[in-house]
Amino acid sequence: MMRAGPSQEEIRRHNLGVLLRHVHLDGPTSRAELTTRMGLNRSTIMALTADLTAAGLVREELPRETGRAGRPSLVVRPESARVYVLAFDIGVDRLVAARVGLGGVILDRREAIRERGAFVLEDVVGRLAAFTAQMLQKTRGDTVCVGVGVAFSGGVRSSDGVVRFSPNIGAVDIPLGEELERRLGLGVPVAVGNDANLGALAEQARGVGVGCRDLIYLHGDVGIGGGVIAAGQLLRGQGGYGGEVGHMVINSGGRPCGCGSRGCLEAEVGERALLEAAGRFGPQIGRDAVRAVVDAADRGDIVAQDALARVGDWLGLGVANLVNIFNPEIVIFGGMLREIYLGAAAQVRSRITTDVLHACRESLRLRTPVLGDDTTLVGAAELAFAQVLADPLDALARVGA
Amino acid sequence: MTPQPVLAVRGLDKSFGPVQVLHDVAFSAYAGEVTALVGDNGAGKSTLVKCLGGIHSIDAGEYLFDGKPVQVTSPREAAELGIEIVYQDLALCDNLDIVQNMFLGRERKSGLVLDEATMEEMAAKTLDGLSVRTVKSIRQLVSSLSGGQRQTVAIAKAVLWNSKVVILDEPTAALGVAQTAQVLELVRRLADNGLAVILISHNMNDVFAVSDRIAALYLGRMAAQVKASDVTHSQVVELITSGRSGELGLQNVNGVTA
Ligand SMILES: Nc1ncnc2c1ncn2[C@@H]1O[C@H](COP(=O)(O)OP(=O)(O)OP(=O)(O)O)[C@@H](O)[C@H]1O
Ligand SMILES: [Mg+2]
Ligand SMILES: [Zn+2]
Repeated sequence: MMRAGPSQEEIRRHNLGVLLRHVHLDGPTSRAELTTRMGLNRSTIMALTADLTAAGLVREELPRETGRAGRPSLVVRPESARVYVLAFDIGVDRLVAARVGLGGVILDRREAIRERGAFVLEDVVGRLAAFTAQMLQKTRGDTVCVGVGVAFSGGVRSSDGVVRFSPNIGAVDIPLGEELERRLGLGVPVAVGNDANLGALAEQARGVGVGCRDLIYLHGDVGIGGGVIAAGQLLRGQGGYGGEVGHMVINSGGRPCGCGSRGCLEAEVGERALLEAAGRFGPQIGRDAVRAVVDAADRGDIVAQDALARVGDWLGLGVANLVNIFNPEIVIFGGMLREIYLGAAAQVRSRITTDVLHACRESLRLRTPVLGDDTTLVGAAELAFAQVLADPLDALARVGA
Repeated sequence: MTPQPVLAVRGLDKSFGPVQVLHDVAFSAYAGEVTALVGDNGAGKSTLVKCLGGIHSIDAGEYLFDGKPVQVTSPREAAELGIEIVYQDLALCDNLDIVQNMFLGRERKSGLVLDEATMEEMAAKTLDGLSVRTVKSIRQLVSSLSGGQRQTVAIAKAVLWNSKVVILDEPTAALGVAQTAQVLELVRRLADNGLAVILISHNMNDVFAVSDRIAALYLGRMAAQVKASDVTHSQVVELITSGRSGELGLQNVNGVTA
């Protein structure tokens, strides 16, 4: 038998998700505006809003005082204080846990320094679970957790959330999603993604890349991760490891890389390359050490200037290759690459001018993240919201709300 | 193909007494773009933007705003067109808070009297629209702010009244790296929000980090105005130091006489 078209019920569920996504991403929105944006009639919007209200996902109310006269129309706003997700960001040097309300509001947040050294799953999961317990203690009884998302600085298998590799953290074949789900014991599925991939999605949803269908996000965290969005879709690759631009070889036989290869982008541009070139490879590490080099360069230290220029040149070469291949509208420099880009933009852009096809660079925009250091965390939150936005009622039923 | 500039001057001459400091200058600024204005000390950058802002009168030349010829003979006329200049010294009052500073000298001009709540809301909205997250309270005294925060307030003040062109004369010169980064991001955001931004800077990283176009003045003449994606660092340095770089720039520098 031929598959019938979508049923009334399927269409309704889909529309509920679409409406909720509008309100989630754009904040309080009037019914009239939703009617226009979704191309549905007023009564349908009213019915959908009523369903989402009954489910406790949105609420209708008068907009805040505008100071203008006249009767303002009702707006649909997300139930940010009631419906939330847990978002975790596992970077090389820091662990972040946050409770993020529908609509993207960070309601609560905990952060800890992660010591470099061997990756101990027990330890990381234990600390995130402890943060969660602290945050949950402060939540009201009527709140509901609809998802858990994790951004991880490494390659994550999309099918099961297993961390396959992470040259800068040292986790190999670690069942992170499964273990975290067990330890949290919330009965809520845990989704795990690569931090730079999630950063790309976050900047596209809420950051400097809103409205961009072709976007590249580069995330510097000791090494370099990448998230490529092409024609509106994140390039995931077969197993989920797409976008590992940090291991694009740009200097054959160059500096050794944590992945075992040589001359990878992250080997030439990463934290260690910068610190060594600046003669500052030592006890000071991480973001502060990178900032110290940029600062020294700004104050006229010629060794630091030279190091930054060299690293900027390699970064420009890597970006030039990416721009020629993907023809993005925007390239975003996040994590420690924000400091490197701003401190070495002359080199980065000179490379792009000389090495990129004119047609690919003429309207290219180079930017830093609007979400700042929260880009990857926000990406984890958006990953966690994916279920409830795809099918709100089904997702609520699954978490037993 | 080329969009119409919001602001353009052609054939601009400016002398101070017997000394001519701007010769036949052409310059344009576009909505949604940052145009960097570069040049050696004394090249005429500040003088040019003061002409644009109505602080200096021009001796000769055409001034177009939105494609129409205009006369800009005072800062007030410039402000009426939507042109704002943020100076190095910032002109903020230390003993007033952020909101008060943002409205300082503005209440009368717009003709309407604003209540505190409205001013506070407008100030908060403006800072929010620029994604400014570094100031804790808009009721903080300006004297308690860092250099970067003061720059931020001065810039926010300039965009408060729906300005169309914002001119920044060396906004990062006195700032450290962290604050420079924040101001650069703010400069970029102004343009991304649709304003035409003119940025004077001596720092080539700052220029390349945020500009869409680069205009290089050399001894009072416009050596070239180019798209930033079409030039390299060394070409811009050549334009600044010798007025030309290969095909670009003034082709007859030595023959030029004032
Ligand atoms: N009010 C004035 N009266 C007389 N000469 C002036 C005046 N303002 C500027 N000049 C002269 O005009 C020339 C251009 O000065 P201007 O301040 O525009 O340079 P600039 O490019 O901004 O330099 P800097 O990078 O040092 O700020 C200089 O020779 C300067 O001495
Ligand atoms: Mg000057
Ligand atoms: Zn590698």
